[in-house]
Amino acid sequence: MSKAVLSPPGSIVPLLGNEAIARGAIEAGLDVAAAYPGTPSTEIGETLAEAARELGFHFEWATNEKVASEVAIGAAWSGLRAMCFMKHVGVNVAADALFTLTYAGTIGGLVVVSADDPHAHSSQNEQDNRHYAVAMGLPMLEPSTPQEAKDLVYRAFDLSERYALPFLVRSTTRISHTRAPVRLGEIRERRGKGRFKPPEPDRYVQVGAIARKHHRELLEKLTRIERELAPELAEVRGGSGDLGVITSGVAYAYVLEAARAMGLDVPILKLTMTNPLPAERIGEFLRGLQRVLIVEELDPYLEERVKAIAKDTAPDVEILGKAQGLLPRVGELNIRLVVGALSRVTGRPSPIDFSALEERAKPALELAVSRPPVMCPACPHRASGYVIRRAAGTAVYLNDIGCYALLFQRPFNLGDVTHAMGSGVGFANGISLATDQKTVALIGDSTFFHAGIPALINAVHHKRKFLLVVLDNRITAMTGHQPHPGVPVSATGEEVPALDIEKVVRGLGVEHVQVVDPFDFKAAENAVREAMKHDGVSVVIMRRECALLTVRRLRREGVKIVPYRVDPEKCTYCRVCINTYACPAFVDTGKVVEIDPTVCFGCGSCVDVCPYGAIEPMEGSLDWRGEKIGV
Amino acid sequence: MASDVSEFNVIIAGVGGQGILFSSRVITRAALDSGLNFVQSEVHGLAQRYGSIKTEIRMGRDVVSPLIMEGTLDLLVALEPIEALRYASYITERTSIVMNTHLVAPIGAYLERKRIPRVEEILEALQTLEPRRLEALNAVEVAERAGDIVVTNSVLLGAVDALGVLPFEEGALRRALEKEAPRRYLELNLRAFDMGREEILKR
Repeated sequence: MSKAVLSPPGSIVPLLGNEAIARGAIEAGLDVAAAYPGTPSTEIGETLAEAARELGFHFEWATNEKVASEVAIGAAWSGLRAMCFMKHVGVNVAADALFTLTYAGTIGGLVVVSADDPHAHSSQNEQDNRHYAVAMGLPMLEPSTPQEAKDLVYRAFDLSERYALPFLVRSTTRISHTRAPVRLGEIRERRGKGRFKPPEPDRYVQVGAIARKHHRELLEKLTRIERELAPELAEVRGGSGDLGVITSGVAYAYVLEAARAMGLDVPILKLTMTNPLPAERIGEFLRGLQRVLIVEELDPYLEERVKAIAKDTAPDVEILGKAQGLLPRVGELNIRLVVGALSRVTGRPSPIDFSALEERAKPALELAVSRPPVMCPACPHRASGYVIRRAAGTAVYLNDIGCYALLFQRPFNLGDVTHAMGSGVGFANGISLATDQKTVALIGDSTFFHAGIPALINAVHHKRKFLLVVLDNRITAMTGHQPHPGVPVSATGEEVPALDIEKVVRGLGVEHVQVVDPFDFKAAENAVREAMKHDGVSVVIMRRECALLTVRRLRREGVKIVPYRVDPEKCTYCRVCINTYACPAFVDTGKVVEIDPTVCFGCGSCVDVCPYGAIEPMEGSLDWRGEKIGV
Repeated sequence: MASDVSEFNVIIAGVGGQGILFSSRVITRAALDSGLNFVQSEVHGLAQRYGSIKTEIRMGRDVVSPLIMEGTLDLLVALEPIEALRYASYITERTSIVMNTHLVAPIGAYLERKRIPRVEEILEALQTLEPRRLEALNAVEVAERAGDIVVTNSVLLGAVDALGVLPFEEGALRRALEKEAPRRYLELNLRAFDMGREEILKR
């Protein structure tokens, strides 16, 4: 967290959208927040975790998004102000609780934040969670800058209490991960302790007739919100002429700049509340125009709804957008794409000849060999992948969500499937049932707790035969090192009981369980070989701390990181190190392999990979295996 | 003074782990302290793991979009040469480039036997785009002389400062570094900054 988040009211500080969301909640008097880390939402939690230590409210990294939502809901039903937040796919996990929540309503202000990831920068899909808001009956607000993100979250708490309904704030990567100056407001007092007291006896009991009654009430609330609130959460910005633009979220920023670049002064309707939509306001806007371009990322959510509204209010207005292919449904938007759409609609030329720029750039771009993310130097998952590849051989490999998902890449090829949290173990159930193929599922420690356990129970109960490798790096690494139930510290630094994965697995009835250090190639390979022979579900836990944590700790302790080197006399340029271990520190000079000292963390795990013993420590290099560093 | 700038666009590009987010924070800190509006976008999560990384920083009165439009780039800072190439379509005669010459080849390229460009080729390709200025330096080597290669990014910030293109007053960037650097590494960072600056000024 940047220290700026807790600066005094009135100061203008540079905040990431996610930090601004956290600050908004803090200003609103947040009592309880819970979440499961997921890009692009994680920094909300990082910020709250640090602020909670100072201000005394509660924040926790929960086991998964459903549990996190239930923690927040329980607190809000007890009259406190609560928030849960998650990445877009996290809402899938929380959905079961959230759908019924809108029937139940809330007493304390309750805000749900969904951070969507158009472009799937760090995600398995590009799902557009605006549809959830409609399906769940959740009022939805969409900020278009970090400042708005803070202000809307703050306001959402009050609105939630006013309508006794949770409010959804939908962010996207380019809001959550955009830093901009934000003016801070006063921090309201917290309530502290709550008391669970339903407003009516059956308020939180959703069965049959009661649920139908609550469903009716929800629809009435949404009608009220559309009438009372939605119109003021929409704004028209200047402009003249018969062409208008309707937009929301970060797309608004692209529209403003695209219009400026083209010298266009179009009227823009910016929608801040996108469920329920202010139908009358939209109708008024449409009536003054002949054509309207809808600019939004992903699905034609606004476009289709505006068309429906236009049918009743302004049937002659032409609604343009994705249907005409003016803007893409895949990937995120930017100024250039909006310039392109405006240019096609108005017939005005683009201010910049993009194709000429691209043509000119071609030779340079052709040289730019691609660089997808890879596992870090010293990453224990690389060692695990190396060991599994050698010991388990040909098999169906069901990977999961985490840094180790990268093991699908060459040279490991351990990922026939990467799908959703915990799905690897679930699919192993199905594939081992349907085929006679060897089946290996891989799952990380945090993902295991999140969603791996029910599928493992199913496998034990149904006598399945497959190997589950738990890649236990003692942290939720991919999102930036958040603790999980297997770690003895809470988000806010409190000492808490850590659940031992080995005991959990044994407790579930798995009989063949081994724990190994993946840097100990021999022991780890033996463990995999033995486990593959077991007639039933077997589990191998490959346990070694995330290398980034190890390196950080060593640096903190003042230990200098000294890389390893390759003895050019001994190197035969067989490339076995590159072809089987693929550490990003290896450099192929065309004659020998070298180690880039700016990349190598000096773990020494690659020493045994070289058949000629050419990889060696330098003066001061550590040996993470021999010296038991990171285990 | 600075606050009347309409728009100044920066890309900082490199490989995950090279301290790009830190460098961006220093620049935005300087912007804020200079009374300049800014918007900066960055990448977190899996993409950070030794893949291509960039941040886009936009400063000035009129900026709202977190992303830069091709053809409007004012400054490209590349912590790694291959990463400089990726933004070729953004480069015009208004673009200044500062590039570290220490090449880190993507390991995947070795596995797929793809050709890795030489630094001279990269410089030539960038030169063809006729940037306003192109300065290449081995920032790793300078950082090593300053005391530790972890401050390679501060060497490049110093080099950027020497160009004098940023819309800040003299000294603003260094003061921002002073504010943002961790206390323990403050001196090391400032030394790296000064040496990077010197490296360009003596040319």
